[in-house]
Amino acid sequence: MSPVRHAIVWSVALALWVALPFVATRHVVDLLVFAGLYTIAGLGVAFLLGQCGIVSLAQSVFYGIGAYCAAWFCVQKGLPSPVGMAAGIVLSTSIAALVGWPILRLSGYFLALATLALGIIGQVLFLEWDGITGGTLGIGGIPRIAPFGFAFDTPLRFYFLVWPIALLLLALHHNLLHSRNGLALRAMRDSPEAAAVLGVDIHRLKVQMFVLSAALGSLAGGLFAHYVTFVSVDSFAIDRSISFLLLAVLGGVYTVWGPALGALFITILPQWLSRLGDIHAFVFAAALIAAVILLPEGFGGAIRNWWRARAAK
Amino acid sequence: MTTAQTTKPLLQVAKISHSFGGLHVLRGVDFGVSAGSITGLIGPNGAGKSTLFNIISGFLTPQHGSVQFDGRDITRDPVQTRARAGLVRTFQTPKVFAKLSVRENLMLGCYRHLSSGVGGNMLRSRRSRLEIEQMQAQAAETGERFGLGDVMERPAGQVPAGRQRIVELARGCVTAPRLLMLDEPSSGLNTTEIEQLRELLRQLNSEGITIVLVSHDMRLVDVASRVHVLCFGSIIASGAMEQIKRDERVREAYLGI
Repeated sequence: MSPVRHAIVWSVALALWVALPFVATRHVVDLLVFAGLYTIAGLGVAFLLGQCGIVSLAQSVFYGIGAYCAAWFCVQKGLPSPVGMAAGIVLSTSIAALVGWPILRLSGYFLALATLALGIIGQVLFLEWDGITGGTLGIGGIPRIAPFGFAFDTPLRFYFLVWPIALLLLALHHNLLHSRNGLALRAMRDSPEAAAVLGVDIHRLKVQMFVLSAALGSLAGGLFAHYVTFVSVDSFAIDRSISFLLLAVLGGVYTVWGPALGALFITILPQWLSRLGDIHAFVFAAALIAAVILLPEGFGGAIRNWWRARAAK
Repeated sequence: MTTAQTTKPLLQVAKISHSFGGLHVLRGVDFGVSAGSITGLIGPNGAGKSTLFNIISGFLTPQHGSVQFDGRDITRDPVQTRARAGLVRTFQTPKVFAKLSVRENLMLGCYRHLSSGVGGNMLRSRRSRLEIEQMQAQAAETGERFGLGDVMERPAGQVPAGRQRIVELARGCVTAPRLLMLDEPSSGLNTTEIEQLRELLRQLNSEGITIVLVSHDMRLVDVASRVHVLCFGSIIASGAMEQIKRDERVREAYLGI
C-alpha cells in the first residue's frame, strides 16, 4: 500500500473513532468503554496464550487487585487516583512474580489448572477479607479520575481516556513482538529446546510475560473502579477470567490487535442481541461456537490472512 | 590453530555415567576436546552418543561425572547458561523455528550477545533498534554465506528438510560459538552436499570455532583431527581416523570389517 493510501486509511479510522461516541447512544458508549477496559486486560491474556502458550485463568485476580487498590487507597486513605492504581500494579506484579516463578515450571493443562487455582483463591480472598474489600457489600464512592480538575465522569469522556491507553498498550506490545525478546518468544513457541540452545532463558521470559500480563489486568481493574465508582466481589469472580480468555481466543491471539476485536464482540453483541428477547443467550452462544469453528485464528487472524492473500494477488 | 591445540582442553568430560532404569547407557566416559580442533564421535546405534550430547549441552544431568567447559564446571548449568558461554549444538532432527522466516531464525542466533530488556523493547529504545539492525545484518551476511539467499523470507518449516539442517547450522554459526556441537549433520544430504559441508566445517574451524561432530558418515568424519569411538557406553578407541580404522576392536564392533 502506498504511503498516501496508508495515511488516508489511518485518517479515516481516526475520524471514525472520534466521531463514533458522538453519534452512538450513551448506552453504547458505555459498552465501548467496557470494551476498552476488556481490551487492556484481555491483551495480557492473549499475549500469554498466543506468544507463550500459557492459558491464564488468573487475570480476574489482577483485575480485582487493581480495582480494590484503586478503591481502598482513594476511599479509605484519601490518596489521589494515580497512587491507588500504581499500588495495584506493584502488588499485582509482585504476586505474579512470586506465584509465576514456581507455577510457570508447569506447562499445558497443569499450568492452566494452576492459574485456575490462583483465580479461585483470589475470588475467595476478595470475599473473606471484607475489612479491605467490603466483601459482598463492596466499596462505593470511588472518586473519578480528575487530572487538573477535568473529571472523566461520563461514558463519553472516559471513552477518550480508556481507548488511547488501550491503543498505546497495543502499540507497545507490537513493538515488543518485533524486537529481540519478541523474536525469542515466538521462537520458543515453535521449539523451546532450540531457543534454549541460543541462550534464551525460557522460564525467565515466561515469568516476565506473566508479570506484564498482571500489570495490564491491574491497570484495567483500576480504571474500571474509577469508571463505575463502585466495586464488589461479583466483578472479580472466575467467570471474569473466562471472559478475558474468551475474548482473547475470539479476537485471535496471534495478532496484537485481535483482543480489541474480541472485546468489542463480547461486550456489544450480547446487548445488541438482547432485543431478540429470551432467545438472545442461545443466539449469542451459537455465534460464539460459529466464530470459534469458522475462524480458528480468531477475527484478527482471519483479517490478517485475508489481507495477506489479497496482497499476494 | 597449532598454538590453540597445545593449550588445555576447551571441553573436558570426566567419568560420565548414566543409566535409564536398569540400562547403563554411559559407563565412565572420559574425553577432552582441545580448543581449535575438530573432534569426531562415532559409534553404532545405541552406543550412547545422543545421551552424551544431551549431557554436554545440558538437556540431561548425568548421574555421575562432570563436564567442564573452558575450565569451569558446568555439569549442573542449564542449557541457556552454557549457550551464553558459547557452547551451541544442533539436533539430529533439525529444530528450526517453523513459523518464523529463515531470516528471523538466523537473527535469533545473535540473541546471546545482546542485552535489551522487555521494557526497552516495548518502548523501542535506541539499543532495541540498534540490536534489530545488528541482527538483520548478521542474518543477511550468514544467509548469503550458507546459500540461503533465496529462502530468507520463507517460513523455515516450509523449507525442504535438507536445507532446514543448513538453516540450523547457519543459525548456530551466527551465535559465534566457541564450541559447536553437530548431531548427525550429514543425514539427508547427498554426496555433493556432504562434500560442501566438509569444506564448510573446515572453514569454520579455521575461523576459530571448535567443532564436535557426531556422525555415522565416514565421508564426513574424515574431517576430524581426532575421533573417539563409543561402544556400549564406553570409549573403546581414540585417535586419528587412520589409526581408528586399523584398530581391531573398532573394526569388530563398528566398522564390521
